[in-house]
Amino acid sequence: MTFAYDFSLQHLLGIEGLNRLDIEYLLDRANEFVENRTPEQSLKGKTLINLFFENSTRTQSSFDISAKRLGADVVNMSVQSSSVKKGETLVDTAMTLNAMQPDLLVIRHGSSGAVRLLSRKVDCAVVNAGDGTHEHPTQALLDALTIRRRKGRIEGLKVAICGDILHSRVARSNAMLLHLMGAEVRLVAPPTLMPSGTETWGAHSTHTNMIEGISGCDVVMMLRLQLERMHGLYLPSKREFFHLYGLDKEKLSHAAPDALIMHPGPMNRGVEIDSAITESANSTITEQVSMGVFVRMAVLDALARNLDRARAEASA
Amino acid sequence: MKQALINARILDPATGLDTVGGIIIEDGYISEFGPQVSAATAGTDLVTDCGGKAVAPGLIDMRVKTGEPGSEHRETLETASRSAVSGGITSMVIMPDTDPAIDTPALVDYLKRAGQSHKVLNRIYPAGALTVGLAGEGMTELSLMKDAGAVLFCNADKALTSANLIRRALQYGRGVGAKIMLRPDEPSLSTGSMNASAFAARLGLRGLPANAEWIGLERDLLLAEMTKSDIIVDQVTTGRSLDIANRHREAGNNVIVTAAAHSLFFNELDIGDGSHDPRKAYLTYCKVNPPFRAEEDRLALIEGLKNGSLNVIVSSHDPQPAEDKRLPFDEASFGAAGLETLLSALTTLVAEPHYELDLLTALAAVTCNPADALDLPLGRIAEGVEADLVVFDPETPWKCLRENLSSRSGNSPFDGRLLTGKTVRTMVKGKWVFGPENGN
Repeated sequence: MTFAYDFSLQHLLGIEGLNRLDIEYLLDRANEFVENRTPEQSLKGKTLINLFFENSTRTQSSFDISAKRLGADVVNMSVQSSSVKKGETLVDTAMTLNAMQPDLLVIRHGSSGAVRLLSRKVDCAVVNAGDGTHEHPTQALLDALTIRRRKGRIEGLKVAICGDILHSRVARSNAMLLHLMGAEVRLVAPPTLMPSGTETWGAHSTHTNMIEGISGCDVVMMLRLQLERMHGLYLPSKREFFHLYGLDKEKLSHAAPDALIMHPGPMNRGVEIDSAITESANSTITEQVSMGVFVRMAVLDALARNLDRARAEASA
Repeated sequence: MKQALINARILDPATGLDTVGGIIIEDGYISEFGPQVSAATAGTDLVTDCGGKAVAPGLIDMRVKTGEPGSEHRETLETASRSAVSGGITSMVIMPDTDPAIDTPALVDYLKRAGQSHKVLNRIYPAGALTVGLAGEGMTELSLMKDAGAVLFCNADKALTSANLIRRALQYGRGVGAKIMLRPDEPSLSTGSMNASAFAARLGLRGLPANAEWIGLERDLLLAEMTKSDIIVDQVTTGRSLDIANRHREAGNNVIVTAAAHSLFFNELDIGDGSHDPRKAYLTYCKVNPPFRAEEDRLALIEGLKNGSLNVIVSSHDPQPAEDKRLPFDEASFGAAGLETLLSALTTLVAEPHYELDLLTALAAVTCNPADALDLPLGRIAEGVEADLVVFDPETPWKCLRENLSSRSGNSPFDGRLLTGKTVRTMVKGKWVFGPENGN
């Protein structure tokens, strides 16, 4: 166990802004949590608020469990029952919560940049649990941890990210992180769901042909398709999407033989992925969920340390 | 009543005059001006020594929104006029998208009268709605509204989608002598919140593609050609738009192109991703429509101002209160406060030597050019013209801070910026409305 690198960030708002050492520090730390079943209670006496403006059972409970394993008191704010529904603005909500002096605030919001906006208005550490179509950094970290544990490395791997890239915060965060760690990132999407300028996120290449995109890849990462976006403007139908971009045995046979099959969940079986594949030995889909807890423990632990340090400096 | 301004650098963009001298004003009208006018020759004791500062025609801002009537918490004619005169703007054309929309002669008359209140410090010119309720379906009474005082007709921010309606409005408008301004846009493409670009994709923000502007502009100009009508283009943001306009001018169309001052000053990167300063990310004060584009477009607009393809610069003043701006970027309202920074934005560009932008050229875009576009007998320093003047120092540096703006809403993208050039005094109809005499 080493703390040689000084991870100094106050918030985790995105992968953008992190450097390779930050990411390695968080992955190493998460790995320690994986190995060590009884972690120290580094968040004891600290309060974490889960503030989810978008419903998410898995991410919210993952943060909940992570924080509790480290001894934090967790408050889950349900937006449905809060004053946000009564017309209170986002910033007012943040100021109100801030006045209760929490230590950590985990936020998911449907608008890009919303979490950053809130981070400017509060004194505690803020974790972005997904903002609009912008970033979802803990998802990228848990994916990286899963890949690293399975493959022993990230550097030099070929990773294809497939599906609705345009609306995916998971794709953005993953592309940036994997590129930073030395992987070759390929993006696969129908032309209507492929944004411009993906090279600025570190994407090595873009493909509208899935077989071409995943050929020889060590990792095939599927994205959830928002079904409500299926009809009309972006795509003609579910079955045509599955025909062209759904991961099935035939398409998968073009990837490397031991290619990992990943999905951030929740899955639409038969839309972006064939059910049979999800249960194969190379599928890491449930393992990703397990790694999510450890990665979030690492993030919360690191931010809490920095918060303590900042408070000590402020009072000195 | 006779008064004089002396020791002034007189700038008249219409004639290219740039000389040191004085101006004599009798009963609110300019009666004499030039190097020969001094304290000794003025023939009056009512003399203002300008201390060598520049004197130009008062600015005419062709695109201003207030909240009156309907959203007075944003801005009233009174607060807008106070803000305007502190930036040398002596005439404002008020957009019709209020609540209710200015779409009848009675409402034009109401706005005109409201603008004559003694609390309103400058001239108010209503723009009439081009379509009833701005709904884009039926034409308004262009002739009656023009008689009531509407100097311009437009559909404000909402581009018209019916080519047939645009055609008929241009045709009919030409017949009754109505000036028509059209917003170049294809709304079905413009569903985002910033320029469509790699930067937008990285921020996870939906885009407003420049193509929507080009499609709208080509269509409007083809319809102007079809109907042999003059047309005013409401705010372009790209170099290619200027090329499109020039091509149609060569074909014989009379096209007047406008742009917002902030489009010559900012590019899309000013929205910020937090990489240089964590506080500067997703800045909603930089959320405007049409949006800030790429740097090359910003430079092309400055070039267009220099070569005459861009004729008029507007403030596009659109006051938005904090509750509509302090929101996630996608949810925040569009619009920037711009009255107080219009002149300073231009003088700042002039002060940057590498743009090689001449002060008289820049001033023409806010004085004689808009006056000519709207047939207003203003925007010049000439004998017999009413004395609307601005005294300014093109070299004074100052920092724009929103808390110091006199607009009711401080949503300025210039907040925190250093600018060069500041208004010292403003005169409307021969009376000082801003300056030391007014406690400013």
